[in-house]
Amino acid sequence: MPSWPAETKYISKNTLRIDAPEKVTGRARYSSDIQEKGWLYGMILRSKWPAAKIKSINLDKARQMPGIKAAVLSPAIEERQKNGADLTLRFYGEEIAAVAGTSKSACIDALKAIEVDVEPNDNFVVLEDDAKAPDAPRVWADAPNVGDSKPKETGDVDSAFGECAAVIEGFYTTPVQIHNPMETHGSTTSWTDAGVTCWSSTQGITSVKNGLAGALNLDHDKVRVITDFMGGGFGAKFNPGPHTVMAAKLSQAAKAPVRLMLTRFDQALAVGNRPSSFQKIKMGATADGMLHAFEFDNYGTAGIGGGAATGGGGSGVTLPAPYPTYKVPNTRVKQASVAINAGGATAFRAPAHPPGCYGFESAMDDLAVKLGVDPVEFRIKNAVTEIHKKEFKLGAEKFGWKDKYKKPGSSAGVVKTGVGCASAAWPAGGPNNKTQGEAQINPDGSIEFRLGVQDIGTGSKTVIAIIAADLLGLTPEQITVKVGDTNYPPGPGSGGSTTTASISPTIYDICTKALTQLQTQSGIADARGKNWKAACKKLGVSPLVVHGNWIEGLSTKPAYGVQFAEVDVDTDTGLVTVKKIVAIHDCGLIVNQITTESQINGGIIMGMGYALFEERVMDDLSGVVLNPNFETYKLATMGDIPEIEVTLLNMPERGVIGIGEPATVPTAAAIGNAVANAIGVRVYSLPITPAKVLAALGKVPKANSATT
Amino acid sequence: MKAFQYATAHSFDSARELVADNGMYLAGGNDTLGLLKEYLVSPNILVNIKSLPGLDKIERGSDSWKIGALVTVAQIENDPQIAKTFPGLQQAAAEVGSQQIRNVASVGGNLAQHSRCWYFRHRDTLCMKKGGDLCYARHGENRYHSLFTGNTCISPVVSNLATAFAALDAKAIVLRDGKETPMTMAKLYQGAWENPQSHNSLKPGDLIVRVEIPTARTSSAFIQMSDKQAFDWALVSCAAAANLSGGKLNSPRVAVGCISPVPWQVEAANQFLDGKELTDDVASQAADMILKGAEPHEHNGYKIPMAHALIRRTLLKLKG
Repeated sequence: MPSWPAETKYISKNTLRIDAPEKVTGRARYSSDIQEKGWLYGMILRSKWPAAKIKSINLDKARQMPGIKAAVLSPAIEERQKNGADLTLRFYGEEIAAVAGTSKSACIDALKAIEVDVEPNDNFVVLEDDAKAPDAPRVWADAPNVGDSKPKETGDVDSAFGECAAVIEGFYTTPVQIHNPMETHGSTTSWTDAGVTCWSSTQGITSVKNGLAGALNLDHDKVRVITDFMGGGFGAKFNPGPHTVMAAKLSQAAKAPVRLMLTRFDQALAVGNRPSSFQKIKMGATADGMLHAFEFDNYGTAGIGGGAATGGGGSGVTLPAPYPTYKVPNTRVKQASVAINAGGATAFRAPAHPPGCYGFESAMDDLAVKLGVDPVEFRIKNAVTEIHKKEFKLGAEKFGWKDKYKKPGSSAGVVKTGVGCASAAWPAGGPNNKTQGEAQINPDGSIEFRLGVQDIGTGSKTVIAIIAADLLGLTPEQITVKVGDTNYPPGPGSGGSTTTASISPTIYDICTKALTQLQTQSGIADARGKNWKAACKKLGVSPLVVHGNWIEGLSTKPAYGVQFAEVDVDTDTGLVTVKKIVAIHDCGLIVNQITTESQINGGIIMGMGYALFEERVMDDLSGVVLNPNFETYKLATMGDIPEIEVTLLNMPERGVIGIGEPATVPTAAAIGNAVANAIGVRVYSLPITPAKVLAALGKVPKANSATT
Repeated sequence: MKAFQYATAHSFDSARELVADNGMYLAGGNDTLGLLKEYLVSPNILVNIKSLPGLDKIERGSDSWKIGALVTVAQIENDPQIAKTFPGLQQAAAEVGSQQIRNVASVGGNLAQHSRCWYFRHRDTLCMKKGGDLCYARHGENRYHSLFTGNTCISPVVSNLATAFAALDAKAIVLRDGKETPMTMAKLYQGAWENPQSHNSLKPGDLIVRVEIPTARTSSAFIQMSDKQAFDWALVSCAAAANLSGGKLNSPRVAVGCISPVPWQVEAANQFLDGKELTDDVASQAADMILKGAEPHEHNGYKIPMAHALIRRTLLKLKG
């Protein structure tokens, strides 16, 4: 069985990103930086209506506009037109067509010149509760808005509540969260006789390649996807999406490369999002502090991707309940997805977990208060795994929980301090066992690794360099790493926190094989370190190319974690200020300490935005997204970010595990619990805005019904 | 945006002449650019006024200061003498937008900026402000909107400087038809109170050339509350100014931002405060008077307790 070396020079230490100089000097070229010869701008025409039927559409006028080289219909509209189906639009922002031209302004003008004759449909619905009503307008004509939702039961929940010493009930809600990576979705795509080359901002070069080949009806070997650098992806960048399919078709028609990057406005409408949740929770514990009964009734929306017509699914509507860090013997769980006329859902950093954790961990605190027990002790008692128990104990110690935890609402003064905690369990995070890679070792001792994985910004290239350096006795600077090209051996998509667990064993395999072959070819018994150059020199003229695969025994899953939050709440203004987050996380063998900590910092900041700021706001009268910009779709910025203290538990014996997702799971729940602890009442709804805090405190007068 | 001409004016007369052809003045351009890009305005010409003489000066007189319309918000934020003489104004400037925005934003532009109502700013809703027949906010998502209005539109004034200037009883000097017309902040925004399609009282061709601030009030303060700690609009803001002698208020003025189309001032409250010793109780009574008659909508009722707290805190902040 292979195993990671016990003594390391780089693994589990701090190595700065090997591509940091390129990134900070601007030499790194992202998809939106690609400037192929003769490239054109691409832009998309979107539905202005939440529901409508296109009676006719004509692109000819747009094609004749100055500077415009091509115009195409969206793949869905083209398909429906071909089949003679109704051209139904189901949400504000749905793609209709796209143009390519020599300037942005030419494209904007051309979009306005597209002749679309529509019949707007005023029977639309954009709010979950409205969509649930029996007489609600249907998003999909042939199926109800509410998806199938048979309850799942374990034990005997009804009699179990009777055996409880304390029972709480609450209605915990979370909003739709919009994907806003710093680099928007998009690509530069070039379609020539030789095939399609797509510089895509993607977290899955292989899935984009396959998706694009399928949509364009091309052989897979005719499509190449390149992602040298990318500015973030959190689950919504696995597929080409209509925008990249249209970019390719525009390129074909215009005979020129087309750069089609979405705008921030586009981003808010149609790239997928995290579904909302409306969680009715009833939970009880016995007198000895053990969870005993749990009843859960949740619904949420995945936009047009929800409801019965889509099988009741939608990425992340169905929450993990009870939250898997805890065990409840008697449960009844009912969940439903509700279709509305809005952009569909997709994977979003730890799909279903942040809302699932928020609901359950809020209920945990409410129940601990009702039982009159310490929330941390209550959690340790009910935690499933020993790792969690250990993390809660360690976190409490580092945070100073015993000194800081006071009875809810008991902090003196107008500005009240509160503390809270929550846990994460990320059941994925294991490897993609089909991962491959190769290394080319040159006679001068230089070595290049090539993997068809992509670095979404987490430091995957550096992970490769670190592992290779330690196993070959070299330094990370001596290792050249090439990723982000489908011409390399296939790697995993960067999702599910699987990347590091996939590539690390693959590099191990390549290095082991390389050393064996070098030994054979050079006659030098140990080619590592100081013997490296001499051994490579013996290769003669031809470089050695070694192919490797993911191998068993060096990676595993799952990852866990706990976070503690300390907040100030101004009870006069409702303002919540997060002062400190203490995070304890584990991911097996830590490959690079510094970038792992960065992952956790980023997860906490994202979780904090989810707790306090982020929320897609739909207008029920017009059906539009009201906040498709950073002015009113609020994200945490530097001034909001608290002191963050990260402690990593290094467990080399478990092997490598991913960490990207669990890091963001418990933050909002911990902050919500801290707010409840501060003010003595719960804010049942994310984001926790000043308005909601003041309402929870009973300070907000009723609306004047005459004026609303 | 639609194509437009661009010209730089070197005299006030030529500026007025150029702008007469469905034009707009251009100073910092923060608000103008946003309006253009969303097709909310489509002028034939942008008239750059940054070369007009004298508009970038701060003149420090004994009775009043004159702040040119082209003085940037960052200059106000960073001027130590302003921080000493009009601390409330400095504090209001420091909370505007981001550093990058403050660096180019002008005093005139901050006062003349248009509504931030998300229905007004949205490219696909035709609200009353844009000539439609419906105030969407009144029926819909009104968390950022007004508690008081004189018409159907409930979009509030969001200029921090206007709120601070109101408390200091400053006047905007508006060049109208070649004549300097002084306007109090109440007057400058009266048009928005009356007319849903206006966001101030400026007419086409009007140009704010400077603001004159009386030095009579030696204490001033400003506080805003936002969702975020930085680079966020105020949910509610408050400015206060007065003379303090022996702990008593003299000629006090309070103005509240973001709860009305005008910086919200209640003369009765100013009179009530005059001559009073500044205590929690007095501040609280003044807040009650200022917020009396507030008409909350479905989602903005929180502004009442928030404004109440800010009025109290801003008044008490006058004590230093």
